[in-house]
Amino acid sequence: MTALLEVTNITAGYGDGPAILDGAHLTVVPGKVHCIIGPNGAGKSTLLKAICGMLKIRKGEVVLKGERLNGLRPDQILRKGICFVPQERALFPKMTVRENLRMGGFTLGDARELDRRVDAILDRFPILRERANQHAGTMSGGQQQTLAMARTLIIRPDIVMLDEPSLGLAPKIVQEMFSIMKMMSEEGVTVLLVEQNALMGLKNSDIGVVLDLGRTLIEGPAADVLADPRIQELYLGGRKAA
Amino acid sequence: MAQFIQVLILGLALGGVIALMGSGLSLVFGVMRIVNLAHPSLIIAGAYVAYWAFKLWGIDPIVMLPIAALILAGIGVLLYRLMFEQEAKSARYSEMTVLLTFALAMMVEGLLGAFFTNTQRVTSPDYATDAFFISDIFIPKGQLYAGIVSLVIIGGLALFLKYSRMGYAIRATTQNRDAAELLGVNVNLVSVVAFAIGIGLAGAAGALVSFVFSFFPAKQWEWIAMLMSVVVLGGMGSILGTVVAAFSLSVIAAFVGTWVGATWSTMTFFLALFVILLIRPEGLFGEKPEMA
Repeated sequence: MTALLEVTNITAGYGDGPAILDGAHLTVVPGKVHCIIGPNGAGKSTLLKAICGMLKIRKGEVVLKGERLNGLRPDQILRKGICFVPQERALFPKMTVRENLRMGGFTLGDARELDRRVDAILDRFPILRERANQHAGTMSGGQQQTLAMARTLIIRPDIVMLDEPSLGLAPKIVQEMFSIMKMMSEEGVTVLLVEQNALMGLKNSDIGVVLDLGRTLIEGPAADVLADPRIQELYLGGRKAA
Repeated sequence: MAQFIQVLILGLALGGVIALMGSGLSLVFGVMRIVNLAHPSLIIAGAYVAYWAFKLWGIDPIVMLPIAALILAGIGVLLYRLMFEQEAKSARYSEMTVLLTFALAMMVEGLLGAFFTNTQRVTSPDYATDAFFISDIFIPKGQLYAGIVSLVIIGGLALFLKYSRMGYAIRATTQNRDAAELLGVNVNLVSVVAFAIGIGLAGAAGALVSFVFSFFPAKQWEWIAMLMSVVVLGGMGSILGTVVAAFSLSVIAAFVGTWVGATWSTMTFFLALFVILLIRPEGLFGEKPEMA
């Protein structure tokens, strides 16, 4: 299958500091959920930030549907179809849920179309409908994460990148986050997920990617990655995946 | 009782102008974290635009207001591009802007002094020295008109921020710059626009100030303390807070000026700044600073 996004041997880091990514590569297949795992400091979040233009790529290239993205700003990359939800969820705490959703469609020129899409999202997520006029900063962590993920759907992106969406959430809420992710995938949105909980992340994904020290170690079907003895030993504490 | 109402009215009338003077400062801080110490000097520049237009061509300062705002907004774009844009991503941006804008304030004061001397000036349309009388109570027309125009401008600004696409972008950038950029907002453009609006508001305030207060280039040092106290009490970056604080302090200053002594009136603002920083540094509508 043709790759939707191709990351080839990229090197990137923060400011003038040392490279966090050093030769990482990634092939993103359309419509699939990809889970990136690895130890702390492996460069998982850095990889997402480099793809979405928050960090400058020093070497290598990122290509989306045949178009090179190197050097573009985050707002330009969003317009190409890649949406990123960082760990801190990137919400506007003093804006209402509805206003946050409207901001999700900032790049849409048509205000009426934006209103239609916001209403469609509110219909799909009743908890957001209930709280449409509430400030986002006053909601629970799970509700905020739901809002952050739902907001990405407004522009109907090709790829949604989620950086540790389960961080700080109760297990029941985490399961809901994975359900939303599955729903996104079923609708044809490609998901690129960074997850600290490797077992849960891989179980809910189609493709697994293992990063270590800024390089891609393993890339393949999630079930194969999960069964790999090195992964069992290194990241899953020797547990056999059920 | 009549005196109480009289003082209250005078305080409220001035509150509107002070709110407009502070709102540009607050907007610029909210969006770009620029502590613009040069804001009062730019208000004075706006006042000179209105003053000379009135003196040379007899143009009413309220009519001149949009032109003063546009001229100052244009200067704002140039200043932002020259002084602030390059350093916008620096971790010490806010601290740097204090020094940069302090230098800018000195420069603007020097230039205005060189061109127009330090003579006190005031624009004098007929209404500036006229008043409405309701029984024993008088309402100075100049202050009333300036207050009403200020509130109309602030109301327009609030509607613009609440409902326009650029307003959404400005509010989003104020609350979370990185998130705004990730959602497609060109934060550099938003910064330029917000800075231009902020400095344009200084120009608009200057046109009104020109017939409400006497002014000269060095007057800025008195006004910066007054405006900082208004903006800090309201919560840095909160336009609503700035308006509430401006009216509150203006009314208090009016009562202090009447019952304690005129010289203590300005002191109200300085004392308020000191007390606010001591007991509630985030102000009325601001956010508590995060602990390191």
